[in-house]
Amino acid sequence: MNYKALFACIAIGSTLLLNGCRKDLLEAIPTTELAQNLFWNNEADATIALMGAYSATRAVFNRDYYLDGHAEFTRVRGTSATNGNLLRGDAYQGANYNPTGYGASFDKYYRYLYGAVNRTNYVIDNINRRLLPAAQGKSLTNLETILGEARLLRGMVYFRLISMWGDVPYLGREVFSNEEVAMLPRIPMKDVRDSILADFDYAIAKLPAKGEGIGRSGRPAALAFRGKLHLYWGSWKKNGWPELAGFTTNSAEAQASFTAAAADFKSVINDFGLTLFRNGEPGNIDALGEANILPNYYDLFTPRANGNPEMVMAFSHLGIPANPSQGEELMRDFSGRTIEGSQCWVSPRYEIADRYQLVATGEFAPKMVQLNPTTNTAARTIVNSAVNPNTYAGRDYRMKASIMWDFEKTIGLAALKSTGFSPFIYQTWAANVTINGVRYISYNTDGSNSGYVFRKFVRNYEGLGRSEGDFAWPAMRLADVFLMYAEATNEVLGPQADAVELVNRVRRRGNLPPLKAERFASYQTFFNAIEQERIIELVGEGQRGFDLRRWRAIERVWGAPGTAGVWRQDSWGANQQRFFQNTDDRTYQQNYIFRIPPGERDINPNLTQNTPWF
Amino acid sequence: MTKLIQRGFLKANLLLPRQYNNGRFHLPPFNTLFKKAVSSAYFMAALFFLCFTQMSFAATINGTVTGTGGTPLAGVSVNLKGTTTGASTNAEGRYSIAVPELSGTLVFSFIGYGNIEMAINGRSTVNIEMTEAASQLNDVVVVGYGRQKKVNLVGSVSTVTVDEKLTNRAVPNISSGLAGLVPGLAAVQNSGMAGNNTASLVIRGLGSVNGGSGPLLVVDGMPDVDINRININDIETVTVLKDASSASVYGSRAANGVILITTRTGKGQRKTSLNYTGNMSLTTPTNSMDFMNDYARALTLHQHRAAVNTLPGNQNFRNGTIDQWMALSMIDPIKYPNTDWWDVIMQNGSFQNHNVSATGGNENTNFFASVGVKDENGLQINNTYRQYNARFNFDAKVKSNMNVGFKFNGNWSDYKFALSEGFTDPDPGNTAGNDMQFAIAGVLPYDPKTGYFGGVMAYGEDPQAYNPYTLYINNLNYTNRQEVFTNLYYDWSPVKGLTARVDYNLNYYNQFRFTAPTPNTAYNFQTNSFGSRVYVGNNAGISNQTNTGFKTLLNARLSYNTKIGENHDFTGLFVYSEEYWKDRFQGSSRNDRLYPTLQEVDAALTDIQSTGGNSSVEGLRSYIGRFNYVGYNKYLLEANFRVDGSSKFLEGSRFGFFPSVAVGWRFTEEEFIRKHTNSFLSNGKLRLSYGSLGNNSGVGRYEQQETLNTLLYAVNGGVQRGFVNNKMINRFLSWETTTVLNAGLDLQFFNNKLTVAADYYDRLTTGMNRPSQFSILLAAAYSPAPRVNIGDLRNRGVELDVNWSDRVGKLKYGVGINASYNVNKLEKWNQFLGRGNIFLGMPYQYVYAFIDRGIAQTWQDVYNAAPQGASPGDVLREDLNGDGRITGEDQKAFRNTQQERPTTNFALNGSASYKGFDVVLLLQGAAGRKDYWLNNYNNTNFGTQRYASTYDHLNKTWSVENRGGEWPRLGGSGSNRTNSTFWLDDMSYLRVKNVQLGYTIPNNLIKRFGITNLRLVGSAENLVTFTKFRGLDPEGQGDDNSLYPINKSYSLAINLTF
Repeated sequence: MNYKALFACIAIGSTLLLNGCRKDLLEAIPTTELAQNLFWNNEADATIALMGAYSATRAVFNRDYYLDGHAEFTRVRGTSATNGNLLRGDAYQGANYNPTGYGASFDKYYRYLYGAVNRTNYVIDNINRRLLPAAQGKSLTNLETILGEARLLRGMVYFRLISMWGDVPYLGREVFSNEEVAMLPRIPMKDVRDSILADFDYAIAKLPAKGEGIGRSGRPAALAFRGKLHLYWGSWKKNGWPELAGFTTNSAEAQASFTAAAADFKSVINDFGLTLFRNGEPGNIDALGEANILPNYYDLFTPRANGNPEMVMAFSHLGIPANPSQGEELMRDFSGRTIEGSQCWVSPRYEIADRYQLVATGEFAPKMVQLNPTTNTAARTIVNSAVNPNTYAGRDYRMKASIMWDFEKTIGLAALKSTGFSPFIYQTWAANVTINGVRYISYNTDGSNSGYVFRKFVRNYEGLGRSEGDFAWPAMRLADVFLMYAEATNEVLGPQADAVELVNRVRRRGNLPPLKAERFASYQTFFNAIEQERIIELVGEGQRGFDLRRWRAIERVWGAPGTAGVWRQDSWGANQQRFFQNTDDRTYQQNYIFRIPPGERDINPNLTQNTPWF
Repeated sequence: MTKLIQRGFLKANLLLPRQYNNGRFHLPPFNTLFKKAVSSAYFMAALFFLCFTQMSFAATINGTVTGTGGTPLAGVSVNLKGTTTGASTNAEGRYSIAVPELSGTLVFSFIGYGNIEMAINGRSTVNIEMTEAASQLNDVVVVGYGRQKKVNLVGSVSTVTVDEKLTNRAVPNISSGLAGLVPGLAAVQNSGMAGNNTASLVIRGLGSVNGGSGPLLVVDGMPDVDINRININDIETVTVLKDASSASVYGSRAANGVILITTRTGKGQRKTSLNYTGNMSLTTPTNSMDFMNDYARALTLHQHRAAVNTLPGNQNFRNGTIDQWMALSMIDPIKYPNTDWWDVIMQNGSFQNHNVSATGGNENTNFFASVGVKDENGLQINNTYRQYNARFNFDAKVKSNMNVGFKFNGNWSDYKFALSEGFTDPDPGNTAGNDMQFAIAGVLPYDPKTGYFGGVMAYGEDPQAYNPYTLYINNLNYTNRQEVFTNLYYDWSPVKGLTARVDYNLNYYNQFRFTAPTPNTAYNFQTNSFGSRVYVGNNAGISNQTNTGFKTLLNARLSYNTKIGENHDFTGLFVYSEEYWKDRFQGSSRNDRLYPTLQEVDAALTDIQSTGGNSSVEGLRSYIGRFNYVGYNKYLLEANFRVDGSSKFLEGSRFGFFPSVAVGWRFTEEEFIRKHTNSFLSNGKLRLSYGSLGNNSGVGRYEQQETLNTLLYAVNGGVQRGFVNNKMINRFLSWETTTVLNAGLDLQFFNNKLTVAADYYDRLTTGMNRPSQFSILLAAAYSPAPRVNIGDLRNRGVELDVNWSDRVGKLKYGVGINASYNVNKLEKWNQFLGRGNIFLGMPYQYVYAFIDRGIAQTWQDVYNAAPQGASPGDVLREDLNGDGRITGEDQKAFRNTQQERPTTNFALNGSASYKGFDVVLLLQGAAGRKDYWLNNYNNTNFGTQRYASTYDHLNKTWSVENRGGEWPRLGGSGSNRTNSTFWLDDMSYLRVKNVQLGYTIPNNLIKRFGITNLRLVGSAENLVTFTKFRGLDPEGQGDDNSLYPINKSYSLAINLTF
């Protein structure tokens, strides 16, 4: 009996031991993630991988507006970016967007730029390795298009890297272990540039004239970026980049680059039948204080312009029901609480207002007078007072389309519904005001310290929340190409008729008359006219900081090292912030070139630092 | 037999109505609950009375049972050996038992005293004296996969018997009740929020930097159970396994120790008893912030702050606004409120616990059944937690060598709260979580006349100021959770000493969570219009989330015990175990709720909606072995191993082997020692153990799988699938391993009046797995970076447990002290460590602080210090490295001070009883930790608007008029808020954790009501805390936002046994 029992016991025991109850107990298969080895079968997979690369690249370009804080006309007091969330702007999170002192705060951005590099490499290498060898016919063309798009994206990312850090490590293939990259040194900017050009050349050769859809790029994008790279290269070679060790000026090389740039831009302008949004017409404008009719320039920065030929290259977004978050947060960043509880992280500085020219003359208006309406009861009526709405009459249409001054109205939004018009009145936040017998609640924000808020990028219709924007962010705009063409030709040949014509087409959008002859009488006057157009046309698009650096213009704007600096003020005349007061040379240098992330240098002895950051 | 069953049933029927219909329990507030509980108990009891059998009798034996010193022992059970016949002693220690004949053997048993057998030998009177000493040899302790005799234990094991001293306290859950009871176990309570008041348990210090440094929790053999959902009244013992020898049978998850919880059974009970325990308490905060309920004055503080750098004309607040507010608030509190938010959103909390249990058994079966309800009302409005528990434990002897048993435990809870931490929420996505600092006094909470919630009204105030009341009314979260734990075992001893046993456990949970906020907008009562702040938008919707899952556990074990010769005792154990988890989530939400009273997702429009869902599984296969040898009752040897294979790791790195060995020597059994020590030392034992344990908690279920991640894109207004490769797998990733050396000494003096246990341990965690430090070129793409096994951390410590108990006449008393000291040291880290509070050769997270020179009183003070942009009123910092600047390099490392946890924990408990009265006192404290007192509510550099200042901002900040101010000036240098010794507080504390005063009603008064025991207890929890810490609570972890104190509570408890 006992032996029988023992035997039974052992039998049961050993069955359990050998088989267990669940054979696959230790093989847990993920239910929502695809195993790597099941992927990369065909063209469709290549497209799916490319979408991942687009998304990663979008994440390092679609909040470039914060970078406008590095110049003098836009204040970026913070960001809406969520830490740790790539699609919610993590690349831009935590950085400094003041006009000075920002160079050490872009470690994270650097990291995400290389993140995008890895994503594009993943597409490029896998197509080259797994799909291209066997492909033929239509499939081959399609794969080459996908490859071209991925290489364009990679080129754009490296272009951004060199324009901020100069020499950078180059990662041109898929990486399989940390050891492969742990000791990579920086390589000279010229070599990186050549690799970028190779990517752009390939893209130009393979991309279709028009992208495969809104949010994907075609040949004009690649051409425009190649042109922009030549333009920047020309600027650096002409103006120098003394903070970048080993980089020397060379006017011949600069001229060659400007020439190449002009050729690429010209091709974009002429070869694809591209036109400015709504033909560059200014459109209609409402009376002062009214906002039922807004100029075309306003619409250009709403989803109405998605897919428009002016958007040479754009990264697209979706609002609800996109899940997970594919939306942009332009509204949240550019407007105040009145509009879906937005936070107004980005606002125009007071100084931009005087930059808007008069429709009548095409020239600047008299400088405004800043007055405090709480201490000066006449402030609202004094001629040319910054708080007198009439002062803003007859200006460049782009002014009304871009910014709001006192008593300008916009549509308030809450819970995806309109709450009606709300007038902006600086320092009178969310108050009951009666205008022409109608009661309103004034605009509410704690984000403006200048007397203005943006209208540009802010939707005036209901339906989508502050984090659900569906505007396709332009990484390259035709108006920018026009102005860059004008700049490049001006550098090589001085003012050219076709260049002046293009600048006038941009001015036409603001309903400004063509430039007076004296404005393009010389290289310098024409340069100034182009710069003026860039300031107004591209405000809030993150271009100006790059322009100031490549033109070596920080001193021109803020004064030389060791001087008193420049105050930023508000429409009441109060000083808000002073920048570059008694600032040393080193700080200027640090504004011209960014810091190589020191954490990486701690673990990679081969990685050198930019001189001002030693 | 039928007749007998009928008798049993009849008895139950007769007994129960008499007890429950007399109305004495109808305490109005919990009337219904109690009825529910009672009826369940009634049903179960009735059912189980069926199991009893009775006999017929011919003779009667009487006698008295006394304890040491002749005191009568009540409640001793007396049984005729080999039968089910039994009786128990009354308050005078007397018993009377009917037996068929005056022969055989009587067995006297009493908890804590063990069993004594006494032959009847024809006597009709049998008196005996029981001593506690007799019990010591037979005390058993629950250990992993079994029980062991306490005297033969070689591991470091502490046991807490959950008795009335613990259950009568108003502790909301077992984890918070363990504070101060076990040396080496730190139970740290961060919050007193209802439903969120569990204590985090850490055994012997920080075992790993991984976060997963909590112990493995095992309830009735099932690992990974939330012990806080177990009814405290159901728990019999809590065993803490601290060293490798005791814990290594739990292998890959035991690195941070193991806590075993055993629930009550009817085992050993000869008598069926019904028990009611009730506890009602009132809770108040131990401490709170003193927010200023004077808006005009708060605005002047804003003025003061702004005056530092802003011209009066450019300041936000005008004198007129402030004067107007000050004047009109006296006559119109609607338009000019001075809200005391603390008053509005706080209430006195309450806590109730009611529990009815029935227990009983006989030779062949025993059972324990209980139902309980716990009802907590938090310190804030609309924070409630209610939990119901039901348990059913049953064992039966199927044959003489076979047992079967099952356990069933169900609990369900309803939890309602506004913010996850009570007043705050750490989730950065929830802006309200950070808003308490913006709850200005100038906002009216609510106007019942209009039904509107107030917003900002003062000119210049930020319209985004916070109205907490609307949040606590309109923005609530509801979580309902149900859990069922079932367990079935079957054991069989086919030959003597050999037992085979199979256990199967199934745990299931279901959790439903919903939010359905009610739209409301800030109202301005001065202008009679809505302001721009929308607290909840009109399109507010409904969000529903469901989590379900189960875990199964199969154990098959074989144990063999034999004695070779007289003096060699061998025990062997082998276990095969499989554990399997599956968890599933589904959630959906829609905008635009149809009507504010509806809460499920169908009750909303379908135009805007979103959904989510996923599942995950995990498996663990284990082989466990243990070998024990006891020679001559004094030489002890134990060896254990466990092999674990987990689905979290890849083939090749999947299995871990965790062996341990321990030896013990009961030196007092040696004649050559005994003859010298016998007079005072009753028992002495030396223990030594060494072994290894594992930890896999830091690794995600699918983290090691090579999969692609989604990263979507949008083209042509539609979502596009996008895949990216996020993972670079470290194929060699495996467990963290902890090796523990433990040396211990157990001594019992003076006939066990004094017991001393001391332990020393050295615990080394190697291969802590951390995300590897990837090059920045890869860090964004491959994120999180693959984990690697890096880093060694060593914990060393000592523990001491001293208890004295004695009796003087009728006064019985006991005093116990336990203390533990632990220091850790980071020994290895194979990556770059920057300057900070983590470094090699130092305790993990030591204090790294600037040294302050106090507040600068004059410009001369400023000039005397290194240049640091300070003005009088600012905190000056020392230039430690003398380079003429203040940089991060001027911080000092405090080698012996930890920032996150104390080095020393200690507790003192005392108890005394005299006649029916008893008192209990528990003091508990900690030392060796310093932390910064810097939070959002003592900010001297607050923003330009909407800051909710405290009276300290008014009274304590430095100014020319208040040079003695303890705080720096308002709006001073930003460095006033850096981590300097100025804000560094000693977090040591001593707390009167619990005081109890109980009275047991004399038996003769209650006997005629059929009551065997009635005890009333008054108890107070967290009565006083002595500390130098200036913040809310010295026990909590640093968080600049957290506001929830722990609770002080006063309770009244009743124990009633039939």
